[in-house]
Amino acid sequence: MNRAIVCSFAILMALICMPGPGAGAEEPSATDVATRSLEAFYYPGDDMRTRVTMVLVNAQGKKRVRELTLLRKNFGTEGDQRYFIFFHAPADVKGTTFMVWKNPAKEDDRWIFIPSVNLVRRIAANDKRSSFVGSDFTYEDVSGRDVNDENHQILRTEEMNGRSCFVLESTPRAGADYARRVSWIDTERWVPLREEYFDVRGEKVRVFTAGAVEEIGGHWTVSKRTMANLQTGHSTEVTFENMTYNVGLKDDLFTERYLRQPPRKWIQ
Amino acid sequence: VLVLLVTAVFGSQFPRIHIDTDPENMLEADQPDRVVYNLTKREFGIHDMIVLGITDEEGVFRPETLARVERIVEGILRIRGVITDDVISLTTTDDVKSEAGLLDVRRIMEAVPTDDAGALSIRDAIEANPLLSEKIASRDGKGIAIYVPIERKDQAHRVGNEIETIVSAELAEGQAFHLAGLPVAEDTFGVEMFQQMGRMAPLTGLVILLLLWVLFRRLALVIPSMVVAMFSVVWGMGLLVGTGATVHIMSSMIPVFLMPIAVLDSVHILSEFYDRYPHIRDRRETLRQSMESLFTPLLYTSVTSAVGFGSLMLAPIPPVRVFGGFVAFGIMSAWLLTITVIPASIMLIREERLKATLRDGEQPQGVLGRLLSSFGRGVLARRRTIAVAGLVLLAVGVFGVSRIVVNDNPVNWFAEGHRLRIADREMNRLFGGTYMAYLVLEGEDAGVIKDPEVLSYVAELQRILKKDPVVGKTSSLADIVAQVGTVLHDGDPAYRVIPANPEELGQYLFLFEMSGDPGDLDNFVDYDYRYTNVWVQMKRGDNKDMMRVEESLAAFMDQHPPPDGITVRWSGLTYINKVWQELMVVGMRNAILGGFAAVFLLMVILFRSPLLGLISMLPLTFAIVLSYGLVGLVGKDYDMPIAVCSSLALGLSIDFAIHFVQRFRSQLAAGADAEAANRYVFREPARAIARNALVIIVGFLPMVLATLTPYKTVGAFFALLMTFSVMTTLGLLPGFLYTTAGRFFRPATGLVPDPRNGDNQ
Repeated sequence: MNRAIVCSFAILMALICMPGPGAGAEEPSATDVATRSLEAFYYPGDDMRTRVTMVLVNAQGKKRVRELTLLRKNFGTEGDQRYFIFFHAPADVKGTTFMVWKNPAKEDDRWIFIPSVNLVRRIAANDKRSSFVGSDFTYEDVSGRDVNDENHQILRTEEMNGRSCFVLESTPRAGADYARRVSWIDTERWVPLREEYFDVRGEKVRVFTAGAVEEIGGHWTVSKRTMANLQTGHSTEVTFENMTYNVGLKDDLFTERYLRQPPRKWIQ
Repeated sequence: VLVLLVTAVFGSQFPRIHIDTDPENMLEADQPDRVVYNLTKREFGIHDMIVLGITDEEGVFRPETLARVERIVEGILRIRGVITDDVISLTTTDDVKSEAGLLDVRRIMEAVPTDDAGALSIRDAIEANPLLSEKIASRDGKGIAIYVPIERKDQAHRVGNEIETIVSAELAEGQAFHLAGLPVAEDTFGVEMFQQMGRMAPLTGLVILLLLWVLFRRLALVIPSMVVAMFSVVWGMGLLVGTGATVHIMSSMIPVFLMPIAVLDSVHILSEFYDRYPHIRDRRETLRQSMESLFTPLLYTSVTSAVGFGSLMLAPIPPVRVFGGFVAFGIMSAWLLTITVIPASIMLIREERLKATLRDGEQPQGVLGRLLSSFGRGVLARRRTIAVAGLVLLAVGVFGVSRIVVNDNPVNWFAEGHRLRIADREMNRLFGGTYMAYLVLEGEDAGVIKDPEVLSYVAELQRILKKDPVVGKTSSLADIVAQVGTVLHDGDPAYRVIPANPEELGQYLFLFEMSGDPGDLDNFVDYDYRYTNVWVQMKRGDNKDMMRVEESLAAFMDQHPPPDGITVRWSGLTYINKVWQELMVVGMRNAILGGFAAVFLLMVILFRSPLLGLISMLPLTFAIVLSYGLVGLVGKDYDMPIAVCSSLALGLSIDFAIHFVQRFRSQLAAGADAEAANRYVFREPARAIARNALVIIVGFLPMVLATLTPYKTVGAFFALLMTFSVMTTLGLLPGFLYTTAGRFFRPATGLVPDPRNGDNQ
């Protein structure tokens, strides 16, 4: 597995050094597209800080709003990442913090701090396909998957929201909660504009849409995104504000100590 | 030709038939409790659910059985129409365990265990989590349940069948499965209702045909009667389907009801014709005389029957209204068809053949006739004894009526031994209870449900509810908060409480929201935390059980009112069933009283005498009081079918009295004295009445063989009603008429000659 990731990074480096598709080079392979898309979507910058508004909408159209600060830092070259989340709202949960160590090759490590009882608890869960903080996004949707977890195939190239897109079909190699996903990947910016997840019955069950794409600090970023569950009628809309890359987050920020005492400097 | 055309028009509506088995439709769409129920379902995202129970005599928690369960769930997740995200099972639902500062969030069964110890530890984990115990697995470890929410109710049949295919292929010896849940019950009921309708209607028809043939021995005359019956059924049902009304359990019985009733008038005409013909020996003249003496009673019996059924239209239950209205329409159709088709078909038979038949047919009539004549003399002689005996019986009946227990449970509409009854019993033995009721707490502002005081009150209500043995399990937001508290503190049971600090409570809920799927809390609380829903699972769905639970909770709430601004309301199907039943009891009582008054009024008009009107009401009163008294005495629940029968009784048991009194009176008017009149009515009229009673009693009996209990009940009860009615008419009326003959007759002397002044006959 590790070797596979190293491998995929090698391909990535090669791609970055290569001229873009506009320069008359050969069409990129499906795996190339998938790799570049994952990199553009999940790994831009060394670190990142943003204020997030997460709106959960249930089938009756009622909303629950969560405000949080999200800090992310890439670790090493094997795809490890650490996330730090501070909840501002709802009011009664303000101060709750959450940390994820994404370990591409094994179970993630997660910790939560509950201020009212002053307790930090480690959460063990081997399911990266489970809901990310109760939203319609899964942990994997937020932190990405490995290119080799799926087989990729370019179906066609077509326009989406006025942008030229590769239409990529990806099929998980091991069992997953989806049987197949189809993504529309911007041929120049490499971010996905739409993703559709199909279950074993061939039914479309979840749809990701990019609501806004901006260039921030030289990185094309999907600053507004929605995941809709077509079965339950539930959806989650996430908006990133004040996003900054390469702010210089220290490694030790992502430790239990800071869960209890969130760094004022980064949390506003 | 016109008749055929009309029949064809009505018949052409049949393909548009629409079956309705949803018990909610027993209430008006805008009935307050139903509105609340719909709101509850929408607000808390409650889907229609099929519940699959799997049992293993040697225990489910063995690696081999669990592997089967895993494969079954996998199969179910592949069925179209299943809301896969919300399937609750060992392999799709999370459990949170805690140990030394670690919260371990995993599927209840992450992987099929390799040994027995591993399998049993799954069972222990379920038992340790109050949110899962008695829901996912039974206490004794011999059963597990899989909850399959479906997108739309009309897919329940297909999804149910596919589940059945998957499960039957997977299970080994000693293992069994049960399918429960409302969609399955409704669906099965719809299918069986159709079958019953298809089987019972022809069977009733056949029985009546046979009976008529035995009585009249002339197919050419019997067939038209049946045609009349069939046509009225087609008219009634055609109009029903054509107007877009749905076929409910009640309306599916329309054909079976209409057939015997429609035959009644024909039997009167035929009976009269047969009895007169040997004397007159001219079909036209016989027919003219028969119709003359029969026209008024026929019209009135039909109108009263129609009024009896029509009184059901006063009931507050839509399917009952539909039933009453269309049967009433069918009855009037039958009357119209009878007085046109039957005389016409008699005229079509050649005179010689009639003469031949009637000579053949004299024998059985003779026996019946002799029997009735001597019966008539007997009851007149012993009229005082009979009157006293009648009074005593009536008193017993009234006592019986006072002991009637009002109760219903739609699952009991399936006969004992039906697979759904077995599933119902087994599932309720193993798990928390399949009968759902909801207790909805509503606050004035968003967020109030997070108030510790409110959730503590919820926990208190649950404690009271659980005192009733019928309540198997309750679940609420309070349970979830308590469970989070426990898990967060390494499983320390001291933390299984509602925290007093609102922030702590809010953060517990947030932790639960964060560690599960977006919809996990939806069943218990709305997005704004303004409403919360307590799931009350009951092991029995009888209305009296629901009522008792409701009353004991109300008593508690009187003593301990809810926190300020919080209102508490019941909802859920078990509660809805109770509501429509209460409406039905009151509604039926009003309908029957209204019908009783209407029929009495009709009788007074018909006989132009309040006294005669009163006397003619006797058989009806006796029939109803005695039949319902019997229901009370044998302890049979007063349920929907029984309630509906009361109005039917109203319309039908008066028929005999009308014929009897009318003929008695016209004899007196023609100059006979009371004794002679009595002799007369015990000839042709009594024979016609006896034949009719026989037709109805026997005609309804095949329904006893039905697999759905409402059919059985109605069949048996109806036979009973008719028996009482005919006994009272023939046994009690002669005495009363004889005793009062002078009094009731005098006011009418202006119109007809006084028999005392006329010649003796």
